[in-house]
Amino acid sequence: MARMSQKRKREAIAGYLFITPNLFGFLVFQLIPIAVAIVLGFTEWDLINEPIWVGFSNYRNLLKDPVFQLSVRKTLYFVLVNVPVQSALALLIAILLNRSIRFKNLIRTLFIVPWVSMAVAVGLTWTWIYNSQFGLLNEILVKVGLDKIPWLAHPDWAMISVIVVNIWQFLGFHIIIFLAGLQMIPREVEEAAIVDGASTLTRCFRITLPLISPVLFYDLIVNVIGTFQIFDLPYAMTGGGPGQATRVYNLYLYQKGFQFLRMGEASAMAVMLFIIIGITTAFFFRVVGRRVNYDLT
Amino acid sequence: MKKPLHLVGEVCFYLIIFAILFVYLFPLIWQFSTSLKTMDEVFRGFSLIPNKPIWENYTISLRDFNVGRYLLNTILVAGLITLGQVLSCSMAGYAFAKLRFPGRDFIFFLYLGTMMIPATVTLIPTYVIVLELGWVDSLAGLVIPFFFGNAFGTFLIRQFLQGVPRDLEEAAEIDGAGYFVIWSRVMLPMAKPALATLAVMTLVQQWNSLVWPLIVTQADTWKVLSVGLAAFRLFRTIQWNTMMAAVVMATLPMIVILFLAQRFFIQGIQFSGLNR
Repeated sequence: MARMSQKRKREAIAGYLFITPNLFGFLVFQLIPIAVAIVLGFTEWDLINEPIWVGFSNYRNLLKDPVFQLSVRKTLYFVLVNVPVQSALALLIAILLNRSIRFKNLIRTLFIVPWVSMAVAVGLTWTWIYNSQFGLLNEILVKVGLDKIPWLAHPDWAMISVIVVNIWQFLGFHIIIFLAGLQMIPREVEEAAIVDGASTLTRCFRITLPLISPVLFYDLIVNVIGTFQIFDLPYAMTGGGPGQATRVYNLYLYQKGFQFLRMGEASAMAVMLFIIIGITTAFFFRVVGRRVNYDLT
Repeated sequence: MKKPLHLVGEVCFYLIIFAILFVYLFPLIWQFSTSLKTMDEVFRGFSLIPNKPIWENYTISLRDFNVGRYLLNTILVAGLITLGQVLSCSMAGYAFAKLRFPGRDFIFFLYLGTMMIPATVTLIPTYVIVLELGWVDSLAGLVIPFFFGNAFGTFLIRQFLQGVPRDLEEAAEIDGAGYFVIWSRVMLPMAKPALATLAVMTLVQQWNSLVWPLIVTQADTWKVLSVGLAAFRLFRTIQWNTMMAAVVMATLPMIVILFLAQRFFIQGIQFSGLNR
């Protein structure tokens, strides 16, 4: 008995030693910063003078700030266009690819090439393609007899142009996930439906979609959470402009914190982003989550 | 009788798929094409294949626009972080999967709990820490905050090692192996696919990451590619050909690694997308 507990003790010590580096990083660069961010949100601080406690006034000021309101609207717009279009396109291609095919690995890999490419580089490439004067897109438009479009140069067009690039860049990522989901559907189910004489469309809506709804649902949530935090592409392509046309949430947060040095307000913004994401996720679980079919997983 | 029709259908199917892929990847083809053109050709409009490929665009970009420096910094930073993460997460993943110690489940629960919190929340406090330590504009400032791994990596390795049968450890224990030996001689070889997945996912993420290097480097000395390239937008006159050359150099290494390690990328994506 004494030897047993001796062994347990050694095991516990080994356990703590093995997690030490990881836990150190987690505490110093994750857990403590989260706590500090919440505290900083209640202060006014420019990194130089001592922070001043201001209570909830950062939050009150932000809610009244027209640029903040604009950045929330811009971000919501980004999410609401990006997520449905991206999911629908990815699902369509995944269904197309979901059969025994040759070059399967090659095809899947080619679809995730944009995903492994640096967002800044992708953004610059598209800035060139979108170029009003010499860009490829306007070149094509002129060739087919249409007018040039000021893709990134005009406030009415800039946002949708950036969203298109985002949809393009992450499409392959979602294709891979949906394909994996589709392949979890047992062959017999599909075959039984074919025997029963169900048409392709019926099979798609009555069998395929309900059966992969857990995968769809999870992907949707991850996508919404990720898109709320969009930064790299608009930073590289427009910097928030023209005017404030593409000033999404995290761009404004970056500006507040690291250009205006208002660390308190920027921290409050970060905490608010977390709250917004939390509310949205909860909403999704309540409204959409109920219809998800978990029978098969 | 049915065979020829079937064959036509097959061919059509692949034609459609590769047509979609061609359009989908065309922006990258165009990027490469532009990187090899003269400025005259760049503005002359639609021609995919340059008259005479100008490889000097690449050397100009490396030298005159400092891309060589950025490239070296990026390799160093992304490489070091990947090394640290794989090591630290594989150690912790082993402990969480196989060893019993008080507080284990609580700590792991905390890990999972913070995975949902947006990265922006930790940004400012982490910057303050790095500032206080005097690590702004240094390799340490770029690397250390990510070096010890994150919840995602530990979670990935733990899930994988939980599937490793107990007999293997017991056999090693009977041979008198300590925990360190079990970790390095039994667990690490077993976990190779998971380690490779974590490595490529981390490498790509760090190679491409913008926000942290952007705020922690002001001088050119330690700037990485993403930060250096993002500044191109602000130049008054843009030389699209040398810029696209820089862009190719920023993306090509990860594309090559993608093709070398396809399987692990697919696994990594599936893990992050299917795990509930």
